[in-house]
Amino acid sequence: MILFFFKRLLQGIPVLFMVATMTFVLLRFLPGGPFDREKTLPPEILRNIEARYHLDESVPEQFIRYLSGVLRGDFGPSYKYTGRDVSDILTDSFPISLQLGSLALMIASFGGVAIGLTAAVRHGSVLDRGLMLLSVAGMSVPSFVLGALLVLSFGLSLGWLPAALWEGPSYAVLPALTLAALPMAYIAQLTRSSVLEVMHLDYVRTARAKGLSERAVRWRHVLRNALLAVVTYLGPLVAVLLTGSFVVEQIFAIPGMGRFFVTAVTNRDYPLVLGATLVYACLIILANIVVDILYAFLDPRIRLDGAR
Amino acid sequence: MREVRVAFVLILLSCGPKGLSGGPGELRINLGTEPPTLDWTLATDNVSVTVIEQLMRGLMVLDADLQPQPALAERWEVSKDGRIYTFHLRQDVRWSDGVPLHADQFVFSWCRLLAPATAAEYAYFLFPILGAQAFNAGEITDPNQLGIRALGAHVLRIELEAPLVYFPSLTTFMVTFPGRADLIERYGDAWTEPGHLQTLGPFVLDEWEHEYRLVLRANDHYYLDRPPLDRIVGYMVAEATTALILFEQGVLDIVRLPPLEIRRYLDHPMYRSKPQLRGYYYGFNTKESPFDDVRVRRAFAHAIDRSEFPQVLKGGEVPSSSWIPPGMPHHNAAIGTHFDPDKARALLAEAGIDPETLPPVRAVYNSEQRHKLVAENVQAQWRRNLGIEIELENREWKVFLRELNVSPPALYRLGWGADFPDPDNFMNLFTSHSANNHTGWANARFDQLVQDAARESDPVRRQVLYDGAQRILLEEEVPIIPFFVRAINLLVAERVKNFELNAMDIFFLDRVVAE
Amino acid sequence: MRLSGWIGASLLLGLLVFALLGDRMGSHRFDEQRIEHSLQGPSTEYWLGTDALGRDQWARVAAGAKISLLIAVGSTFFSLLIGLGLGGISGYLGGRTDRWLMRFVDLVYSLPDVLVIILLIEVLHAGLGDVPDLYRRQLALVLALGGVGWVSIARLVRGLVLQAREEAWVEAAHALGMRNRRLLLRHIFPNISGPILVTFTFRIPAAILTESIVSFIGLGIQPPFASWGVLASDGFAAMRSYPHLVLYPSLAISITLLAFHLLGDALRDLLDPRVRGIGTRV
Repeated sequence: MILFFFKRLLQGIPVLFMVATMTFVLLRFLPGGPFDREKTLPPEILRNIEARYHLDESVPEQFIRYLSGVLRGDFGPSYKYTGRDVSDILTDSFPISLQLGSLALMIASFGGVAIGLTAAVRHGSVLDRGLMLLSVAGMSVPSFVLGALLVLSFGLSLGWLPAALWEGPSYAVLPALTLAALPMAYIAQLTRSSVLEVMHLDYVRTARAKGLSERAVRWRHVLRNALLAVVTYLGPLVAVLLTGSFVVEQIFAIPGMGRFFVTAVTNRDYPLVLGATLVYACLIILANIVVDILYAFLDPRIRLDGAR
Repeated sequence: MREVRVAFVLILLSCGPKGLSGGPGELRINLGTEPPTLDWTLATDNVSVTVIEQLMRGLMVLDADLQPQPALAERWEVSKDGRIYTFHLRQDVRWSDGVPLHADQFVFSWCRLLAPATAAEYAYFLFPILGAQAFNAGEITDPNQLGIRALGAHVLRIELEAPLVYFPSLTTFMVTFPGRADLIERYGDAWTEPGHLQTLGPFVLDEWEHEYRLVLRANDHYYLDRPPLDRIVGYMVAEATTALILFEQGVLDIVRLPPLEIRRYLDHPMYRSKPQLRGYYYGFNTKESPFDDVRVRRAFAHAIDRSEFPQVLKGGEVPSSSWIPPGMPHHNAAIGTHFDPDKARALLAEAGIDPETLPPVRAVYNSEQRHKLVAENVQAQWRRNLGIEIELENREWKVFLRELNVSPPALYRLGWGADFPDPDNFMNLFTSHSANNHTGWANARFDQLVQDAARESDPVRRQVLYDGAQRILLEEEVPIIPFFVRAINLLVAERVKNFELNAMDIFFLDRVVAE
Repeated sequence: MRLSGWIGASLLLGLLVFALLGDRMGSHRFDEQRIEHSLQGPSTEYWLGTDALGRDQWARVAAGAKISLLIAVGSTFFSLLIGLGLGGISGYLGGRTDRWLMRFVDLVYSLPDVLVIILLIEVLHAGLGDVPDLYRRQLALVLALGGVGWVSIARLVRGLVLQAREEAWVEAAHALGMRNRRLLLRHIFPNISGPILVTFTFRIPAAILTESIVSFIGLGIQPPFASWGVLASDGFAAMRSYPHLVLYPSLAISITLLAFHLLGDALRDLLDPRVRGIGTRV
């Protein structure tokens, strides 16, 4: 198990390298540079700035400089936030996205599984139809519209929850709901259809024939197998939710790192874009490993390659 | 499960939105975004200015009418030839850690601004000083060759390359504030963090949660009266609509109104508006057909009805045909082209242009709602008044800036905000040597008039020079069409007193009271 | 097909009629400005009110329908094309090709979608110099959205092809000496067309949603055209004073998405229960 974990971790390194390369190259194809200003800078000043950030070197040299920095744990200085390092910016903002994302993840997975199970158990009933319609509705609203609706209703009109900012647990509720709505709806549908699928499989019928109670069948076999599908979906979702969302952070004024995927690009803050992207890619790799481990745990038929 | 749910609801109820509004002595403003830096030597943007103006003072300070007044300098003298300024510093100024102000702190800060290694974007502000540009370009390496000298602890002597009548105005700008070598040496880049940063203005930095909130408190060492406010909390709410909602809930005391929300608040007692020293114009690429013909440029200018802009934008914009904006010294409202569609069509015909056969003209602006509204409006106006089709294109900001520098489109929108309240800041833009002149237009007479005006200390003669230059720019040659000056539109809570708006969007909070 | 599927299909038909004729149903065209009528609420003259330039919101939502649907269908088609190609080749050839292609898929998967979309839009927009300016941004948007969406389709197609390949008839055809490309195009793809159609139906709403987010970020399409996403995010900025500006475009988005989901669900039950809706990760 541990061996498997480290082996997969090692396999992730070339992926990270390629992610950095691709992002770096794409960024350099982007027209406009970090120091293009509304008030154009005189050439001598531009030269000084380029020297300071080593932008006067050739692109391959810059890339090598960046990579060797990353290996030493230095993600370089931000071009936009003068005097701050990308590492500082990410260590400030990532924990906040992490908190909000975990909450959203919990809401999405528990809520989604609960709704999906309920619907599957009451398959064909009015409740089933109602829940499924609700989940389709959840998938049909753009996140900024949903966020606005939540802010206006629960934040402003009813005043039950804070409309925005980040001061305590209650401040996480509306943004987490906005973030969780789509995956929750999706997980609900996923759970429902997997449960229905598994219900008809032979071994469930056999188990039932062996005289296990209806409840035991449901929990032991159906749920475990249905979870496999959910876990597959959750893998990449973890990375998406934990690194924050531009829309949610923008609307709710939350100082997370999701906004950097957008603002750092518009500012041409290359090191910050690269730093945020690497964090995202690390999370994807980790999440995929965890998914594989969970797979083996949930389904004894699957074995981890490399594990003995 | 049930208990968990109950506990959850209890937690939610216990920390509702109550208690977040500011009490007496505390002001809550919206900065909009994180200030990119509080290092006043390196800062360039409005948000940083807003914070730094509360923390620091320079030789001079702008009053509410934007007139430079003595601040750290008690008085100053100018030599007869206008090249040497001698500033006498106040003797009672101390930094927030008790260290007294010393003329060396100016010398240090100004040399740091100009040093190539600092790579300060606004180093060019001090280029009028003797040797400054060469020092910044690395041609001189000895700072003693610069025209910046401390004569004792309280006298600063500045030698300029050439006379410059508005030099004292420059010393109101943050990049000219004094600096502390000891702090920068001790803390490196982190010298602007709370606990490290020492300042000498009305407030000091108390907390800074990056990307979220910044707290200032009154400076007990301030050399003037302690400000009435104990605390200023600056949130960084990027979405204007969200900020508005927080204002409605009493969480924020001052917010900027999103453009389209302004109309609902026009008669509201908390609504405040003030036109700015911020020009908004469309520029021509005068190197390319059809705008290489001055008659076509003038036709386009005469086909614009500026009174439509305030109706479209509804943000208190003031139409202006003059480039030196209203509110700036030497502004002249009579200068510029006026709406005259018949004349416009005549000019077009004279230039031999048939709107039917002219291929669509490309106009480029940067993606923002306000610019889009203006672009769509002028597109309709030129179609209506000239019969010419305009093809609009929006660009992401940095792409747009790069394009302006590399290959300017036939028509483009741009704005200019004053850095200091002197007309030179506007007129210099369209000289042939200005990097901000993207029109490709160059005129020696214009250059000369602008240069003479910068050295002319007599206001009457200066007016004549600027009027002449503006006539060339706006009536004869027309490389640009000024549209209007922008306004700021704020909501200010009733508990906030003594808050005055000014034309440069600087918040002066040292006399503001929060009840 | 289920009743809900028919409901979805008829909703979509209605939307199509709206997109084609809606602009001409009201009294004003979508780009006609009447500044003196700006920012009005819904009335008998302007059924859905007017925007800041006094343009008829009904006509704009109708014109937006055309654009939003075109972008969504176009980008989905594009991602389907790449997904089918790469996934098909990967699954069919297997071995080293499969390994390398899947590496590449993993790599693209490890990049944040928002980032890739923004980068692609701007890089493509700059790179498509020859395309008439009016359509450049639209095309860049279609290619960028498609350039992100193909990843999950490629994985799905690969799995399906792998399955199909195992089946006896392919081996039989192979034994008869059929060439690879022909085999893939003539036999395997038709065989898996059911799940592909279902995926297509689910990808379109995801693309509409993503387009709206891109517009919110401020990288939407060029005026005078406006997609639903652009209209809704413009309206968002005036939400407190003129809620009708954000309400109707959002409603149009939601109804469309609902219709596609209903239709997709029904198609899935009909054609292949193995496939599930795939959303874009924004």
